[in-house]
Amino acid sequence: MTSIATKTVLRLAHVSKTYGEGESSVEAVHDVSMDLDAGKFIFLMGPSGSGKTTLLMLMGCLLRPTTGSVHIFDEAVSSLAESSLPRVRRSRIGYIFQGFNLFPALTALENVEATLNLKGCRGAEGRAEARNLLERVGLAKRMHHLPEDLSGGEKQRVAVARALAGNPPIILADEPTGMLDSKTGRLISEILRDLAHEEGRLVFMVSHDSRITALADQIFNIEDGCLQDGSRQ
Amino acid sequence: MVSIARKNLFHDKIRFAVALAGISFAVVLITVQLGVYLAFRSNVSVLIDHTEADIWITAHGLENFDFGRPFSEKKRYEVAEVPGVAWAEKYFLGFGYWKTPGGSQETVQMVGFDPETMVGAPWSIVKGNPQDVKYFNSIFYDEAETNRLGNLPIGSETEINNHRVRVAGIVSGARSFIQSPYIFTSFKNALNLSFINKGNTVYVLVKVAPGYSVKDVQRRIRETVKDVDVYTSPDFSKKTQDYWMINTGTGVALLAVALMGVVIGTVIVANTIYTSTTEHLKEFGTLKAIGASNWDLYVIIIEQALINSVIGFAVGMAISYLVIQAMKKGHLPVLLAPPVLVGIFVLTVLMCLWSSVLSISKVTRIDPAMVFKS
Repeated sequence: MTSIATKTVLRLAHVSKTYGEGESSVEAVHDVSMDLDAGKFIFLMGPSGSGKTTLLMLMGCLLRPTTGSVHIFDEAVSSLAESSLPRVRRSRIGYIFQGFNLFPALTALENVEATLNLKGCRGAEGRAEARNLLERVGLAKRMHHLPEDLSGGEKQRVAVARALAGNPPIILADEPTGMLDSKTGRLISEILRDLAHEEGRLVFMVSHDSRITALADQIFNIEDGCLQDGSRQ
Repeated sequence: MVSIARKNLFHDKIRFAVALAGISFAVVLITVQLGVYLAFRSNVSVLIDHTEADIWITAHGLENFDFGRPFSEKKRYEVAEVPGVAWAEKYFLGFGYWKTPGGSQETVQMVGFDPETMVGAPWSIVKGNPQDVKYFNSIFYDEAETNRLGNLPIGSETEINNHRVRVAGIVSGARSFIQSPYIFTSFKNALNLSFINKGNTVYVLVKVAPGYSVKDVQRRIRETVKDVDVYTSPDFSKKTQDYWMINTGTGVALLAVALMGVVIGTVIVANTIYTSTTEHLKEFGTLKAIGASNWDLYVIIIEQALINSVIGFAVGMAISYLVIQAMKKGHLPVLLAPPVLVGIFVLTVLMCLWSSVLSISKVTRIDPAMVFKS
């Protein structure tokens, strides 16, 4: 197993992903290698169909690479058995989705608490931790509302709080500002940046939004499945 | 702990109500039909089950209790001589025509017992003294048959087979479910009222003496007394029940309706849970993406099924109670012992769990990557 420096949280080594077989196969990601460190707020940018989401899914253990390997800390997660992947996702990764993906029947507090329950934090402890997380994202006064009663920005804050449930070292965000106005989008981006800088997490975000790129510590550009040379370090 | 299953279930109130209606309907169908079936089954052998006899002796080749055929009363004396027989009593059962006050006729079954020993006498007396049947052509009938027999009070008279009879009392719990009403009287009166020749009996009831085995005495009677059939009481009871339940198809029909309840309930619940699962597919995908195992998702679906089954059972039972009370007012017997209710509850739970299979199969195949593809 390759030894990874302690600061490196996520490492991709010559990762490629091909969908389908034979002549109809499509290579969505081609020979991508990257070392991603803790405490960084990193953007992945690129046009539609460039392989951004596939790369995010490979990082999040939702897809297996066709070739190459994915490591989280010292663990080669790309070669783990299927049955071990839920454990990795539970303990290592928090996800934020463009469409929020909140449970509509659960209040903001319950959305976060249910995720904590899933990660083993139950009972009064789970409820208290859910409150803490919502307070951290500024939603203390709206925690008992259902998602349908929340604005887009508030929903995404709940999603951020949910991603923080279980204190994962990696946050993967798929265009989290895509459905928000520019002001709210920037606010959410700032929260994510603070999670990286103040709490030492790796926050990796797919985005189209050029207005917030200034917040990023590092930007990768991807086109046709390949990382571009112009990526900003 | 947050129950996603419960929250999702109660969030969509209309869907939940539809599921509950389906389960409750199934529970009512199953409960009422099963209750009627069990009452029916128990009722067809009610007279056998309420005598204190251990052994029944019948004419050879008898199909069931209600179609008793006469044989020589001398057999009774032969039976009484068999070692292990404490007593052997004659017992009558035969059809007759009851004349109602309106002039129409009802077929009745006359039950004749010995008023001295009271073996085979009615066991639950509402009015009158059962010893009075020893008086000439005095009869008792069941209160549930009052309307059918013309609302004749005690002391009033009518005719059976053109012989005058007098109502001496009313009994309960001896309603004939599918056959004609039972009319209780003395063996002597019954024989007088019937077309059967004197010197015959229809059954001989035997009590086994203490210290003897019923099976041994049954075997000895079979070896000693010819041209009769010899049954233990439970065997004769079962033979009669099986005749009405299986041979006539009546019991099968009742059970088929109960089974239909199970099928209807399963289809409705399966459809509801499956539709709910399909509509919440994105949520299940999200759960998988954030680290839920398949088993975590199964628990949600199973919990939904269990909540459905418990509430559906409770509502169904409440409705069944009202239906059964209404049926009892109409003297339609329904028999539901606590173990049967427990059985129906278990069946309801199994029905709901079985309904979850499609949904479980659906979430097993969810690709968590779907949450990024939308």
